[in-house]
Parts: sequence; structure tokens; C-alpha cells
Amino acid sequence: MNISISNWTKSGSPWVWLNAGAVAISVIMVASLIGLIGVRGLAHFWPADVIQAKYSERQNSRIIVGEVVQTEQVSASQLIDAGIEVAPGVESLERRLLKNGNRDSEGIDFTWVLSKNLSDIKTPAMLFTAERYEWGNLYGFLRSLKQEQKVLAQYAGYEKNDEYMALWSLLDKSMLRAQDIKAQIHDIEKNQIGKINHELERLRLKERRMELDLNSDADVTAEIEQRRVQLAKEYKTLEDKLVDFYGKINRDSIEVEISNGSVITVPIANLVRIFRANDMSIWDKSLHYIAKVWEFVSEDPREANTEGGIFPAIFGTVMMVILMSIMVTPFGVVAAVYLSEYAKQGFLTRLIRIAVNNLAGVPSIVYGVFGLGFFVYFLGGSIDQLFYPEALPSPTFGTGGLLWASITLALLTVPVVIVATEEGLSRIPSALKEGSLALGATKFETLYKVILPMTSPAMMTGVILAIARAAGEVAPLMLVGVVKLAPTLPLNMNYPYLHLDQKIMHLGFHIYDVGFQSPNVEAARPLVYATAFLLIIVIALLNLSAVAIRNKLREKYKALEV
Amino acid sequence: MSEVKTANVDLSSILKGQENLKFADEEIMLNTKDLKVFYGEKEAVHGITMDIPKNRVTAFIGPSGCGKSTLLRCFNRMNDLVDSCSIGGEIILDNRNIYGKDVDVAELRRRVGMVFQKPNPFPKSIYENVAYGLRIQGVNKKRVLDETVEWALKSAALWDEVKDRLHESALGMSGGQQQRLVIARTIAVKPEVLLLDEPASALDPISTLKIEELIHELKKDFTIIIVTHNMQQAARVSDYTAFMYMGDLIEFGVTDTLFTNPEKKQTEDYITGRFG
Repeated sequence: MNISISNWTKSGSPWVWLNAGAVAISVIMVASLIGLIGVRGLAHFWPADVIQAKYSERQNSRIIVGEVVQTEQVSASQLIDAGIEVAPGVESLERRLLKNGNRDSEGIDFTWVLSKNLSDIKTPAMLFTAERYEWGNLYGFLRSLKQEQKVLAQYAGYEKNDEYMALWSLLDKSMLRAQDIKAQIHDIEKNQIGKINHELERLRLKERRMELDLNSDADVTAEIEQRRVQLAKEYKTLEDKLVDFYGKINRDSIEVEISNGSVITVPIANLVRIFRANDMSIWDKSLHYIAKVWEFVSEDPREANTEGGIFPAIFGTVMMVILMSIMVTPFGVVAAVYLSEYAKQGFLTRLIRIAVNNLAGVPSIVYGVFGLGFFVYFLGGSIDQLFYPEALPSPTFGTGGLLWASITLALLTVPVVIVATEEGLSRIPSALKEGSLALGATKFETLYKVILPMTSPAMMTGVILAIARAAGEVAPLMLVGVVKLAPTLPLNMNYPYLHLDQKIMHLGFHIYDVGFQSPNVEAARPLVYATAFLLIIVIALLNLSAVAIRNKLREKYKALEV
Repeated sequence: MSEVKTANVDLSSILKGQENLKFADEEIMLNTKDLKVFYGEKEAVHGITMDIPKNRVTAFIGPSGCGKSTLLRCFNRMNDLVDSCSIGGEIILDNRNIYGKDVDVAELRRRVGMVFQKPNPFPKSIYENVAYGLRIQGVNKKRVLDETVEWALKSAALWDEVKDRLHESALGMSGGQQQRLVIARTIAVKPEVLLLDEPASALDPISTLKIEELIHELKKDFTIIIVTHNMQQAARVSDYTAFMYMGDLIEFGVTDTLFTNPEKKQTEDYITGRFG
């Protein structure tokens, strides 16, 4: 027996098991991380059934309505501490987190309820969920549809029947009309008025600039004034249109009976969508789910980032990472080429290499502080003095923005690119270098025409690592240009189209903001998971595209295997 | 399949095709004067003085580490790439010392081309490999490039094999083809001297034979210096042979004489296989 164990040890099997175990644990951890985030995040968009139940506590009982978000066991002692009577001998009780919505009329939109206190649990088909632009979700029964003050249709029962459905179809029509007007309002407010404001601001700056230069050209001033009058006129017509639209959109409203039996009036204009989750088939729910996910990735956020989408954050993240890659690649490559091809190898180069490697280990917040101090205040401040004096005292580049965030990240990741490129350069067979030199090429020509193209896959490896690091970085960005809500995208239809000075939103910061700065924690929690999941997907996509480029380059510059 | 036929007859006479070489009649292309090569403190080549005849094949033979490759790499200053290497003495090409101060090394290497032991085509197309040296010189006219590429590939006996796939990657060729491509690439810039550093040592016998035939063809236009550790190869392809040992030039003379009737005892020992 002893012999066989010692043989087993000698054979190396324990090591193999140990190593395989380590790999298995890593894989399981990563998979469960992604699984947890994915399931929690994606489940949020599924239209859950809405329950209606009688909730009795002590002698009082009332009707409550809502979605069950979470179910958990609580220990009896905890409940007793909270002043709730628990029968002796009971160790723990089940409680549910109910999203009861109706924040405007009930004060809180999430409540914990003990399952044992619930009775008469029903899921009425006509009980609806309405997502609103303000005040969160609304749950209730539709009572009537009003146009101005006139009641168009009404129904008093709770059962699904033709009369009730007729009321609903009128509501659907009214919703469509409201959404159409809403889209037009959005276009005017966001695009047309935005454009006018942008031009007015540029006129103001132009005028101020002339003032600063002590250069008063009457013609130009008159021209500016003329343009301004014209813009004001355009603005006036748009404003009139808006007033008209707002009048139209507020025409219809609905009356809703909510859980406590009272009836409230809700303007149609305040509704994003309205649906009866209990009455939906799987197919309807799937369509609804896809629409919700699409809204999440393509729309602007609402309600302090706890509702709506996160498109600006996705856009900001991708934009910043791309700009960072554009800046870090040439810089890192040039530095690596000098370090390994031109610099005389010795103590100094060794020192520089050690410094570069250590730079990769500096905590990122330190880069953030450096970026704020050097890039934003010093460089940005100087740029403002030199090129944008007309806008002062409000800073143009002298405050955090897309450019500074990208440069700070580029600085953060340049060591990675340098190391990867140097590695790549050292792997090129010297025979190729000699072959080129022997043909009368100079060192520069050899590098440029033979060595660098062959090193490009290694450079891409560096860029991939840089992207992986930069895309997930949050701490330094909070100092150099990422904000919780940016009014416009950094790339838009207003001249000069790419606004490097603009502040941006970022997925990583969005997670922090929604998760920890939100006034409504329960509403925000699923969004934290969803945003985290999306961040992982965005980083994976950025990486995969870099990997695809690298593979293409590898295929093209397949070196001789040494 | 021409190589199979020629393999049956006496190669050395076919390849050389000329008898009664006399060193005194030769025009001199290159000469070295007391050439010394140091690697750091160590002297690897001890003051060699020799003349390389024009339009002839000169072979350097000798045991491993005798300094023959080091000497060869002096002719186009390839040793400059080795940081610790320093040179003493002179190499004269066209009455000028190639180690002189005002020598443009790139220009020198254009005049003295080199082919290495292992085929080292660039990861580019066959066409671009051959055109590389010309493009470096600033030649970009398509017609000139086309003509030169065709001429070089024909000279390297490769044209027929690759004319239909000029724009495919050179890395897809066989080892022997790659080595001939490298030769084509080298002669495309029309050098005066061609240095071959064991050009066939990584190749199979048939490819080796093709390279040897090629050397014979090329010596009409170029002065060739070849380093080889294969004595049969030296005997087959060269007109003159230099035997080196431990950094010294032991014997230098007409190949036939050196192999059949060496003057020095060391030479005889080496070529009869008593050491080395």
C-alpha cells in the first residue's frame, strides 16, 4: 500500500490533480460571476406577474398590489427585534419584497411583506403596469379615458370582457398619438433648439473674441447681429410649435383605481408604456422583453438613472477606449522601438525598463490625480488661455473631458503596449533583419518595411491588454471627465462634430452612480447588474475586435518559425 | 528533371568547365590587408592578407569556429551589427578601404550582397521580396521593377517555378526555392560581389545541386565568395579555395591543386578527414 502511494506521488498525478483543480475553480468562479450578473441583470426586463392580495397585520388588513421581486427567509429573532410577533417555536419566516409602485400616492414603491400575512393572492388579468416618465411604475385598474374634461369611455368592473377591452383599445390609440407628439417634441427640443443654442453660443464667443482682440469691425458685428435676430426668429417659431404640441399632448388622461381603492388621474403624456403583465402570453412577454432590452441599450436614462437606458454611457465608454487606443498605440510603439532598437543597451535602458514595468503597477487613482493636475489644470488651463480666451471664465479644456480622460487612460496603459511591443521585436528572427540590411537597406528602412509589420500582431496584443485595462477603469475617470449625466453625446451633428472637451458618461462610473448614489436603492439594484453585464459585453466586444485584427495581421505576417 | 541527369556525370568538370587557372592572370576584385577581427578582447581572425579574384568562385573552408564566416561577414560589414566586434586592418574595394570613415555602409552592402545559411525571405509576396532592394533604392516604376524581378528570378533559375504565383507569399515555397529566391533578391540590386554563407547547408541534396549549378552560372556576372563546411561542395563549385584554421589563413590556391596536392600538412590532414 505504501509503495503504491509513493508511486502515485512519483507519477506526478497529485500535481496534475492540483493544477486541474486550480483551473476548474477559476473557471467555475468566472462562470458563476458572469452567470450571476447576467441572470440578475437580464431578469429585470422580464414582465413579472403582478399580484393582488390581502395583507393582514395584527387586526388591520388591506389590499396590496405589486410585483414580487425577491423572496427570502428571515430569522425569527430578527423579526422580534423589529417588533413583529412570531409564534414560539418558529425559527424563520419567509418574506417577500414587493414592488408596489405608485410612489406618488403611497410614498414608497418597495415593501417587505411576510408571506404568512398574505391571503387571497390573485393575478387579475386587467391589472396593469404603467411605466411613467415621472414617479416610477403605476399599478392599478383602468377606470376611464378622458379627453380634456370629457369622459370618452369608462368601465367599473374588474373582469376581462368586451366592454373593458374597448376602453383599452381607445387607450392604445391615445397612447400612440401621445408618443407621436412626444417624438416631435423631443426632436424640436433636443435637435433643433439645441442647434440654435449651439450657434448662438458660437456667435457670442465670436463677438467676445473680437472684443478681446480690440478689433471692432462694424460689418462683422452687424452680420452677427443680423444672424442673431434670424436665430431668435427661428427660435420663436419653434417655441410656438412646442407650446402647441404641449397643449396637444396634455389633452388626454386616464383615471386609475389603485390598490387602496382611490381613483387618481394620470396624463397620458406621462406614460412610457402600459401593459397587463398577467394577461400576456409567453410570446407577448418575449416581445416586451426584447423591447425593454433594446430600450436599455439604446435610450437615454430617466429618473436619476434608475429607469430608461444607458446608451450615452455605452457610447462614452466605447468612444473613450477607441480614442485611448489611437493615442496609446503609436506612442507605445515608438517608445518600444527606440528602447530596443536604437538605445544603447546598458544600465540606463535597464533602469528605464524597470521604471516602465513599475509604471504598470501604479494605482490608477494616482494617474487620475496626475491627469487632473497636469492635463486638466495645467495643459487645459493653458489651452484655454491661448485658444479660448473668449469663453473664460467658463473653462473649455480647463475642465475634465473626453480628451483628458482618454489621455489619462493612454498614460495608464502605455507600459503595457511598450512591454508587448518590445517582446514582439525581440521575437523577430535576426536573420530577417540581416537579410534586409544586406540588401543595402538602412536600419530605419529595415524597421519600417520588415520588422514593424511583422511586430504588428504583438502590438495588437499590447493594445488588447490596454483596452482590457482601460475599459474597466473608473477611479481616475471620476477626476478627469466622467459625469453621472452628460446632456449630449461627444459625437453629434453640431460643428465641430467631435467634441473632445465634452464630459462623457461611462459604464463603470454609471454602475457606481446607480448602485451607490441613487435615491432609490431597490429600483436601482437590478440595473447595477444589468449595467455590469453590459460593461462585460462591451469590453468583450472591444477585445474580440482587437483579437480579430491581430489574427488577420498574424496570418499576413506569419514569420518563419525559428 | 535536369538535375537528375547531371547528377550522373562528373560534376566538378561540368560546373567549372575550365582548367589551368593561374592566380597571376586574375583580375583582383577585393583584397584584405592584415585583417583582424576581435570579439571583445578575443581575436577571432589573426591578420589575414589575401586577394579575391574577380568573376571567380572563392571558397573558404575549415573546421567550425575557424573564423571563415567571420571573415566573410567583414566584406559587407555585417559584423558591425555585433556590438562587441571590432576590426583591424583594411579591406580594399575599388582602391578604397571599406572600413574608411566616409563609407556609406548601405551603399557598400548594395555592392557586396550576401546570402545567409538559412533561407530568410521576408513575409511578403515573391515579387515584393525580389523588388525589395530596388524599392529601397527608390525605384518604383512598375516596368523597371517587372523587368528586374523577371531577370533576377530567371538568373536564379526560379522563374519557371514561380511565374504564375508571383504575388503569393514567399513563405509558401520550399526551402530550396526560398534560398534561390533569396539569391534572386540579392542579385536584383546588381551587386558586384556575392557572399554566400553556407548557402546549402539547410537544404536537401537536390536543392543543393540546384544552388551549385546556379553558382556556376552566376560567376559570369559576379565575384562569388562562398563559405562551406562541405569539402565536396567546395571542390565542386569553387575555382579558388582558402583553408582556414584557428583564425589563420593556412593555405590559399587553385581549388584542384589544393585538394589534390596541398602544400601544408594541416590542409592535407583536414581534407583527408584526419581532423576537423
